[in-house]
Amino acid sequence: MGWLFILPSVVLFMIFVALPALSAFYLSFTDYDILTETEWVGLANYAMLLKDKIFFISLKNIVFYVALYVPLMVVFSLSMAVAVNQSFRGVGVFRTIFYIPSLTSAIAASTVWLWILNPHYGVLNQVLAAIGIVGPAWLAMSSTAMMSIVMVTLWQGAGGNMILFLAGLQGISKELYESAMMDGAGRIQSFFRITLPLMRPTTFLVIILSMIGSFQLFDQAFALTQGGPGYATMTPVYMIYNEGFNLLNMGYASSMAVLLFLVILLFTILSFKLNKDEKEMKK
Amino acid sequence: MKRVLLLVVTVLMTACFAFGNGQQDASGKGSEDSGRTVISYWGDWGGEGQKQFEFMLNAFNESQDQITAEYVLQQDMVTKFLTASVSGDAPDLMFWDRFRTALYAPKGVLLPIEERMVADGISPDAFYSEAIRELTNDGHLYGLPLTVDCRALFYNKAMFAEKGLEPPQTWDELLVAAKALTEWDGDKMIVAGMSLNDVGLFNMWLQQAGGQMLNDDGQATAFNTKAGKQVLDFWKELMDAKVYTLGFETGLGEGIDAFATGKVAMTYSGPWMLSTYESYGDNLDFGVVPPPAGPQGDHAGLMGGFGLVIPSAAKHKDESWELMKWWLTVPENAGMYAQMSKNIPGVKMATEDAYYAENPYYPSFIETFEFAKIRPTVAQYPNMEIKAVIPQLQMFMEGKLSAQEALDAAQEMGDILLQEKVK
Repeated sequence: MGWLFILPSVVLFMIFVALPALSAFYLSFTDYDILTETEWVGLANYAMLLKDKIFFISLKNIVFYVALYVPLMVVFSLSMAVAVNQSFRGVGVFRTIFYIPSLTSAIAASTVWLWILNPHYGVLNQVLAAIGIVGPAWLAMSSTAMMSIVMVTLWQGAGGNMILFLAGLQGISKELYESAMMDGAGRIQSFFRITLPLMRPTTFLVIILSMIGSFQLFDQAFALTQGGPGYATMTPVYMIYNEGFNLLNMGYASSMAVLLFLVILLFTILSFKLNKDEKEMKK
Repeated sequence: MKRVLLLVVTVLMTACFAFGNGQQDASGKGSEDSGRTVISYWGDWGGEGQKQFEFMLNAFNESQDQITAEYVLQQDMVTKFLTASVSGDAPDLMFWDRFRTALYAPKGVLLPIEERMVADGISPDAFYSEAIRELTNDGHLYGLPLTVDCRALFYNKAMFAEKGLEPPQTWDELLVAAKALTEWDGDKMIVAGMSLNDVGLFNMWLQQAGGQMLNDDGQATAFNTKAGKQVLDFWKELMDAKVYTLGFETGLGEGIDAFATGKVAMTYSGPWMLSTYESYGDNLDFGVVPPPAGPQGDHAGLMGGFGLVIPSAAKHKDESWELMKWWLTVPENAGMYAQMSKNIPGVKMATEDAYYAENPYYPSFIETFEFAKIRPTVAQYPNMEIKAVIPQLQMFMEGKLSAQEALDAAQEMGDILLQEKVK
C-alpha cells in the first residue's frame, strides 16, 4: 500500500531524473550531437577531458567557491534563524523579508546586483565610500569577481536555509534553556552547549544541500561575469552548457557532467564520513 | 487500495492527454485552413519584435490566397529546433542568427536554397555579400539575410562641441579625443573618454591594424602578430591615459546606459541601440561615424545580423520559400520590415531608399558595410574567441599579463580549440 503513495513521485523521478542521468552516463562514451547518428567512442571523451585545461580551472574555481560559500551559508542562515526565532513584535515581517530573496529569479536578481556592484555608481561602493573605503571594481577584477558571486548567492540562498534552521530551532524544547538558565548558563553558553549540538542534523542537511547546489553554480556566474574576468568565474556547469548547447558536443559535455558528478559524490561521502566520525568521537 | 490505483491511473492518463494535446497545438501546422496551407515561422523575439514579425506575416497572408503563415514564439528556440529536427516537428521557416550557420549547416538540418534562387531568377548579388557569405557553407547557400548590422563609433556631439573636437577618423585622433573628453573627480571617474568595456571587439581592432583572427584556411589562429601587439599596445596607451576604468559600465544597461547618460563620450555600438538613444531626445545629442582607421590606415568593421532559413525537416518547403522570397527579395517588403523595426535590410536596393540617406545615423553604418567583415565562418570560431581570446585579453586589461603574454596564451589555447573537432 505504502508504495502506491510514492508511486507518482517515483515514476516522475525515474522519467525525468534517473533516466536522463543514466543516459548522460552512456552518452559520455559516445559522440552525440542530437542531430546526426550517435557513435560509440569509448573513453575518447575522457581522454580529451584530462587534457582540458579550462575545465580543470573551472573545477578549481568551483571548489574555491564551495569552500567559501558553504561555511558562510551556515553562519548566515543560522544567525538569521536565531534572530527571527525570538518572539517580538513584527518578527513575521523580518522572516518574510529575509526569505524574499529566495523567491526572486537568479537572473533578475543578478541584473540588480550588477548595478549595486558598479565601482563608481553602485550602492555598495557608495556606502563604503561614506566610511572612507575605496571599494574595488567588484566584477571586473579577477581577485574579487568570485567573492562577489559568493555574496550574491548567499544573499539569495540564505533565506531558504533560514527556514530549515528555524524549523529545527522550534523543535528544541524550551525546558532545556530554562534549566540551563537556572544552572547559571548565559545566552552564549546556551547557544553553544544546547542549540548548536541539537541543530546538528539540520546543519548537516544544510551543508549537504548547499554543497551539492553550489557545485552546480551557473545562473549567477553567467549573468554577472560570463565566466570572466579571465577564467576567474568559469564554472563546470557553464562549461557543460557551452559545450553541449553552443557546440553540440553532447557526448563531451556528458563526460564533463559525469566527472562533476563524481566530484560532488566524493565531497558528499566525505561530509557523511566526517559527520559520522564526529558523532562517534562524542560518544 | 482500488481507489488509490484508480486515482493514479486517472492522473497519469490526464497527464498523457494534456501532453499529447499540447504537442499537437505546438506543431499546429500542416492543417488546411479553407484551402490555404498553414506554415509556421519560429522566432525567439517577443514584445515589439514579435509584433513586427506578425505584421509582416499578416501582410504576406493578405498578399495572396494560398498560404497562411503563423508566428510561433519559442523562448529557447535553437534548443527546441534541435529536438524538433529529430522528432519531425520542425518549423517551416526560422529566424536565424547567421553566425550559427557554420555549426548547423554541416549537420544537414538546414535546406540549401541555391537551386530555388536560380529557378526564380534571384541573384545573391542583390544582398550584402558578407551576409551571404555567412549563410554559405561548403558551397551551398542556406538562407537569405533579413538584417545587416555593424559596429560604428557613437560619439556625444555636445561633449565634442564643448571641447572643440571633431569625431576621430584614426586611432591617433581617437586617443587625443578620448584624453580630452575624460573627466575625473579625485578617484572617481565622471566621464570615460572611450569605452573599452568589450574586449570581444578585438577582432575589429585587429583588422584595423591590418591583422586577422585566423589564417586563410581557418585552421589556426593568426592574431599573435605585430598587428595583434599593436592593438594591445594601443589599448594600454588608452588605459594608461586613464580614459577608461575597468568595470565602469557594470550594470549600467538599459535605462541607465553609460553613453546615453553622458558617462561615456565615445563607444562602439550598433544600429540596435539607435532607438534607445533617440528616445532620450534633446537630452542626448549624439552622432555616429565609421570606425576610425588603424595606424597603417586600414579600415575595418564587424558585420552581423539575422537571416531566415528553412529547416531540412520543414513540411512545407515550397510555401516557406514563397514567404522568404516575398519578405526578403522584394525591396519594398524588406524595406518595410527594416524601417518598422529600425533595422538595415539585407537586400542592398532597399538601403538606397531616401529613408536611409536622409537619416542622420544610417549613412555611417552603410558606409561601414563597404569594408565590414563577418566573423570567420569556422564552426569552432565563436568558442575559440570566448574561451581562448577574451579571457586572456581581460587579464591583459587587468594588468595581470603583458601584451605578449596574453597573445601567446590566447594563441596556444586558441589553436587547440580550433583543432577540437566538431562532429
